[in-house]
Amino acid sequence: MSLPKISCVPASRLLSSIHDLRWLLRSVTPLSVPRRALVQSEYRRPGQPREDKPQWQMFKFDFSKGLEGIKKHFKLLRHEFSGRFVGPEGKPIIEHMLEQNRVIWEFRGPDSLQEWTLSSDREIGGQSEIYLKLGRNSDTCFLYGTLQNAPPRDGETRYSGYCTMRSKQPLASFDRKMHYDWSSFNTLHLRIRGDGRPWMINVATETYFAHQKYDLYSYFLYTRGGPYWEDVKIPFSKFFLSNRGRIQDDQHPLWLDKINTIGFTLGDKAEGPFQLEIDFIGVCKDYAHTEEFAYEAYKRNPEV
Amino acid sequence: MRPREASFEGDFALSRDHTDLLCAVLSDGNLLEGSADRMKCSRCLLQLVRPGRTAAQRCALLPSTTQLIVQHNEQQQVLRYFRCSPASAKRGPVPAQFVNEDEQKGTKSLATQEDLFEQVAKEYKTKATFNKVINVFTKRDIRRRGHVEFIYAALKKMSEFGVERDLSVYNKLLDVFPKEVFVPRNFIQRMFNHYPRQQECGVELLEQMENYGIMPNIETKVLLVQIFGEKSHPMRKYQRIMYWFPKFKHINPFPIPQPLPEDPVDLAHLSLTRIANDLDAKITIYQSPSQMELLAKHNPNKPVFVEGPFPLWLRKTCVYYYVLRADPIPLEEKVEEPYDPEQCFDYPLQLDLDLDRDLGDDESFDVDDLDEGPVFAMCMTSQGDQSTLNQWISGLQQNNPILGQVPTLFRLDTGTQELQGAADRESGYRHQPHPESQREEPQPAEDPEAVVEEESRRSHGMKQ
Repeated sequence: MSLPKISCVPASRLLSSIHDLRWLLRSVTPLSVPRRALVQSEYRRPGQPREDKPQWQMFKFDFSKGLEGIKKHFKLLRHEFSGRFVGPEGKPIIEHMLEQNRVIWEFRGPDSLQEWTLSSDREIGGQSEIYLKLGRNSDTCFLYGTLQNAPPRDGETRYSGYCTMRSKQPLASFDRKMHYDWSSFNTLHLRIRGDGRPWMINVATETYFAHQKYDLYSYFLYTRGGPYWEDVKIPFSKFFLSNRGRIQDDQHPLWLDKINTIGFTLGDKAEGPFQLEIDFIGVCKDYAHTEEFAYEAYKRNPEV
Repeated sequence: MRPREASFEGDFALSRDHTDLLCAVLSDGNLLEGSADRMKCSRCLLQLVRPGRTAAQRCALLPSTTQLIVQHNEQQQVLRYFRCSPASAKRGPVPAQFVNEDEQKGTKSLATQEDLFEQVAKEYKTKATFNKVINVFTKRDIRRRGHVEFIYAALKKMSEFGVERDLSVYNKLLDVFPKEVFVPRNFIQRMFNHYPRQQECGVELLEQMENYGIMPNIETKVLLVQIFGEKSHPMRKYQRIMYWFPKFKHINPFPIPQPLPEDPVDLAHLSLTRIANDLDAKITIYQSPSQMELLAKHNPNKPVFVEGPFPLWLRKTCVYYYVLRADPIPLEEKVEEPYDPEQCFDYPLQLDLDLDRDLGDDESFDVDDLDEGPVFAMCMTSQGDQSTLNQWISGLQQNNPILGQVPTLFRLDTGTQELQGAADRESGYRHQPHPESQREEPQPAEDPEAVVEEESRRSHGMKQ
């Protein structure tokens, strides 16, 4: 667990602790986060060979891109440094301590849609479609599309029919990974307006081992439908662990200190159009909720 | 102990010619120790060695049988009947109409199991015929040869026969597996994947049950233990289903009755009460008192809109509803209405308590409130044309006289084209500061009839 921790420490503190710069330059290279895990890559079918391209063809060496990158990354870096003087996470300490709730994602303007990625079973050969746009007053996010259950005709896929919206991993300057730290909250709060279909909320956390790459913590989101907004509160203790869509036997509570992404999945096997409108996604502290984990975490004796 | 039985039967078949060999085989198992004269007559033997007997009984019997075979070679003719080879076993219990088909099976090598379903269910596909097919298969061959393929084929055909939600059929299908053959008998077999194809097949059967939301019962468990043993993969799958299914059975806060009401009026009633989220809503005209109050306060100079259709999904069926609403009230026109303390004497309508809140005890989210305009009424019709909706509005007018003075506009999307239309309009919407005012422009291009209707309706509304 030590490697990602070091890579998260801001550069200034690393520099202050190390005096020999040559040693630093040597050691930084293996410490850098692998690129594939950093950026959400395209879906690669299991067994499909990886793209065999030399490294230099995968990068775009473009002057304008470089300029933009410098602008973007140094701006982020400046915010990072200046935010540290204000308080933790760029907020005053009093606000940080007394915070009862936090709005994580809200949809104001077209820029806010850039933080999300869409995918459907089209990438495995299905026929579902999903689109994202701003709502009527351009202050909500309107997710719509069509769900189709027809499995791809490849002879091995048996089920199909899903649509997903997933947030992008937050990145600090120079494309370092950042995580959401929600450890002072215990409930997810959404304001949505659906069409009666059940959705699934998936929370992905930072993991260390490669086999945990597809770990997701999921829970269900039932919508009422109709013209009224509804406030949904889901305690984090209810989320259960799954890997590649299979519920795991060995459950443990969701650790909220390193949250990477949140996603919404639809796969209720009802073919046809769907829509979901999201006003905001936030986290809050619910003092009435004291449950730590909703599922049995004890070990049986004998174990199985 | 089916494998034992099978191997012994094979040996019996051999023994017609090689009795010595049989004796050698059996003496390996120390089975010859039993007294030879416990049974004198092979007719008694015939009664005892039947598939219904338990393995222990059979084991106790077997030494004597071997002795008998050795001793009474003249009884071969009698014995031949039950120590059947697969070919002869087929012929016995199979009903007459399937015998010919079995002959065909012998010649064809591929795609046999699905043909069985096709041939049986030529005329009608019901649960009875499905069970019949399973019966035919189980009675055809004592070794259930090809049962994995048969089960895969049956799983595929289940939805055609309409039995995909029937637990008893799944149990019957699981019963096709031969019992006790695939149970691991020592720790090495248990450690490795014992009979992987059969276990995969069992898991797939359970997975199909899971996908259709069928919860297995104790009979399934007994069958799985008999077939695969206590710690096999299908048993694990069963345990997982039994752990997770009850947990998630009742988590839907807005439950839907399992067979949805057939009558469209009932269905509409159900869906409208579901989306209205207001216990005071009336049944005949789906309008809650608060909605009526809102409508009474509506500024008569501003139009109200009929919008729709919006989809609502009740499990797998989709219904459409229409909404009567208005534009959001601009800020300067908003009046903060004080509660009338005399409205209700029983309990106060407004509480202003000082709860000793601390510094950070503000639990409201820091988001701008969405202002979307009030919803006055909702309706569901079978056909969403203007005339039907006009009827609805005039019905509403009886209780809401203000509707007579307010111009009513129709903003209707045409059914299924709604989403495409929305996609087309997307570019138009996105950067408009006042989307409401420019809203109607893209619509006429999409539905020219609606324009005419809309204007006539507008003048109509003005006259009233």
